[in-house]
Amino acid sequence: MSVVAECLAAFVFGSCVGLLVQRSRFCNTAALRDAILFKTYRNTKALLVAMMILTIGFTLFITFGAGNPMHFDVGLNQVAGLFLFGIGMVLAGACTVSTWVKTGEGNVGALWALIFTFVGMFLFSLVWSANYWPPAAASMTGQPNLEALQLGYANVGTLQEKTGIPAIFFGIGQSLVLLAIYRAILRRERRQQVEHDATAARHRAGTLAADS
Amino acid sequence: MEFFKKTLDPVIALSAIAILDIFLFLVVGAWTVGGGETMMTGLAAQALMGDALERIPFWNLVFVPDWGYWKIYISLGMLFGAVVGAVLSKEFYLRFPRRLSEWVLITIGGLLMGIGIRLAFVCNVSTFFGLTPEMNLGGYLSISGIIAGAWVGSMIYKRILEG
Repeated sequence: MSVVAECLAAFVFGSCVGLLVQRSRFCNTAALRDAILFKTYRNTKALLVAMMILTIGFTLFITFGAGNPMHFDVGLNQVAGLFLFGIGMVLAGACTVSTWVKTGEGNVGALWALIFTFVGMFLFSLVWSANYWPPAAASMTGQPNLEALQLGYANVGTLQEKTGIPAIFFGIGQSLVLLAIYRAILRRERRQQVEHDATAARHRAGTLAADS
Repeated sequence: MEFFKKTLDPVIALSAIAILDIFLFLVVGAWTVGGGETMMTGLAAQALMGDALERIPFWNLVFVPDWGYWKIYISLGMLFGAVVGAVLSKEFYLRFPRRLSEWVLITIGGLLMGIGIRLAFVCNVSTFFGLTPEMNLGGYLSISGIIAGAWVGSMIYKRILEG
């Protein structure tokens, strides 16, 4: 595929995502923050459904050696980096997607967050240039490198190679776990609704008694 | 048009995005944002600093500024799609954070997101819409980090809300 075709495919995909996220008000930050703070799950449920579809789709194609999985070594830098990112997205009130989408709606705060994300990336490039950690892709071997706190490369494709079990079966397993979480959220929402209705009924009864 | 009058159910929106993401995975790779943002940072730095950027090894060894990097265009596409959606639904208007404390929080949050993405080599999108559905070990490491970070961030946010 030519570079122009790749960029065009990415732009068309991004445009559809921007439109759908703008119209649905989906926010990845809210999917985590609202579940933790307010026990509301509107965005969390959507995230889980997308992950179920993607797990089945990706693992199905990986079973047949198709698709372009991400390929780089992983390690403790993922935990530390996403920990900082998680704090940052809650404080900024937006993640990588919603900064672009909210900027597109005219939200200057989101644009400000985006600018400082770029500044943060540039500052980290200076730190990286001083200590060369985490290792660059060129020096990755796919094997654990404990000195550099790297665990190597492993995904459902490597699982298939090692066990001989088709990747899709692992994908079905992961989707079932995600489905169990989704169903647990639905049960919790039903309980919240019952409690809410009972409270509302008590208030109505109290108001009627006061009126009579 | 009804699509621009009512809020779309996020489950429907994200299901559609997931199907499109599977097509993108087959063509070039799964949806990601952090890589494109890093390349844009490099291109912006190159425009501002010129040849001086070559003295910073990161921009020679990890991300060599290149306008042909496809991930940039996902972000530009998201911006374009959002502008179209906001204008057609009459939801486009300039909004500014009102208090100084909001500007400070957004600044700190943005910096932490940028530093976190580069430290991890992945962002939240690659975590939830790429690595984890590919059952990559990095996806599980990233999810542990982002949930812990979101929890700490939420506690800080709660403290601020409570004054």
